[in-house]
Amino acid sequence: MKSISIKNLGKRFRRSFRGDEGILYRLFSIFKTKEKFEVLRNISFDLDSGETVGVIGRNGSGKSTLLKTIAGIYLFDEGSMVINGSVDYLSGFGHGLQKRLTMRENIYLMGLLRGLCKERIEELFEEIVDFSGLRKFLDSKVYQLSTGMLNRLNFSIIIHCLINKNSEILLIDEAFSSGVDLKFKEKFVLKMEELIASGSSVVFVSHNLRLIDRYCKRVIWLEDGRVIMDGNSEEVIAKYKGSNNDGR
Amino acid sequence: MRKVSKLMNIFSIGFELAKKDFKLRNEGSYLGVLWYLLDPLLLFLILIFLRGFIIGGDSNDYPIYLLSGLIIFNFFRHSTSTSINSITGNANLIKSMKIESEIFIISRVIQSIFSHFFEIILLCIFMLYFGYSLNWLIFYPLIFLVLVIFIMGLSFLLSTLSVFIKDLNNLWLVLTRLLWFSTPIFYYVDELSFIYLLNIFNPIFYFISIFRNLILDHMVPRLITVLIISNTSLVILIIGLLIFSKYKNKFPELLS
Repeated sequence: MKSISIKNLGKRFRRSFRGDEGILYRLFSIFKTKEKFEVLRNISFDLDSGETVGVIGRNGSGKSTLLKTIAGIYLFDEGSMVINGSVDYLSGFGHGLQKRLTMRENIYLMGLLRGLCKERIEELFEEIVDFSGLRKFLDSKVYQLSTGMLNRLNFSIIIHCLINKNSEILLIDEAFSSGVDLKFKEKFVLKMEELIASGSSVVFVSHNLRLIDRYCKRVIWLEDGRVIMDGNSEEVIAKYKGSNNDGR
Repeated sequence: MRKVSKLMNIFSIGFELAKKDFKLRNEGSYLGVLWYLLDPLLLFLILIFLRGFIIGGDSNDYPIYLLSGLIIFNFFRHSTSTSINSITGNANLIKSMKIESEIFIISRVIQSIFSHFFEIILLCIFMLYFGYSLNWLIFYPLIFLVLVIFIMGLSFLLSTLSVFIKDLNNLWLVLTRLLWFSTPIFYYVDELSFIYLLNIFNPIFYFISIFRNLILDHMVPRLITVLIISNTSLVILIIGLLIFSKYKNKFPELLS
């Protein structure tokens, strides 16, 4: 069974739209031409259930936009997209933690926002705290933690939410690259592998080609919002590396 | 059924968020919730002091007349001006995960309800002090429910607009200030005077006068007034929700 089926997907942003403008600007901008900017063009691919696919490409090639579109955060303008199952989107961490709340309160808050009920969080609570290894700081305010500790806390909360929800489709956007120490990273990668092995379909965006190679048999290479290559990971990665060496 | 459980879920998360925010705002200061009361209380005392100069009237009901108007208007201003930023203020979350953005608006309104609760206590204290009976306050939750519906609708509308217009909150502060002076809060109006006619289109005036009639004159509002105000509130809520749901899927792209 296909878990994601995308045909001729297109996505445009309004280049001239500025989200942070006041009322006078808004009034005048009625007369402005609305310039569109194509981020994704003619994207087509299928993903079987249980399959893991990597997405690579330069900055600004549309990788994150693609994931956000699949996750339903962005709407698309053209084409069709069929998704079977629940989707979870996981991007760079650090969002949502409330600096002035304690670690305990943050765990509850983040769990709620990520769709767990209160009772479930209570069950998972100990496990989350143990995983983060920050039991000492349970009742201190989060702003007192260092950046690395914050990342650990965030990782622990999110990974447990994901395991608990057990979504059929996981979209991972550069989740492995962040400032945590080696030991925690290993722990995290192990949990992540557990999650991937549990049978979810995974779309995996990273600039770390070694990681991509390790987890994905199939890789999609995006450039300027178009699929340049879609196939066996070794071939695609080799071509991608080659193109980078061209000095383009 | 699923819609109902989804709605319940949104409300319960909104409630939790509101609790957290409320706690955050009050911790670290020994005065805590007194800060909420300081603004209406100060205004109340100043206006009582000025009464002789500007109004000249010597109605014995004036203190409660004034305070009831102050706290209802204060609830209106506080809840709308905090929920106007509820979408733009949570841009990070809305952009990075699939989340029902209604949560943020509802949580701000609930948070204002918490602080309104303390204002009601303040009113009760003054009513007892001036020798009024509190019995008629039993009907207040009904008025308040309609007021919350009205404010919910307005908040959905304003927070959606503020995604497009950054300085809407400044504009709103000025508008509510204007409305504060044109609503008979600290002065009396005669029927058929210019200000009274102006206030026929002012929903807050209806809420305030229904409330005053209730606690000062023990008068139940006329059916026509109730119909006008509850229908207006429902219409505002429906308009707010319609506009909000039209744009809510575009928030992640529009927010900066």
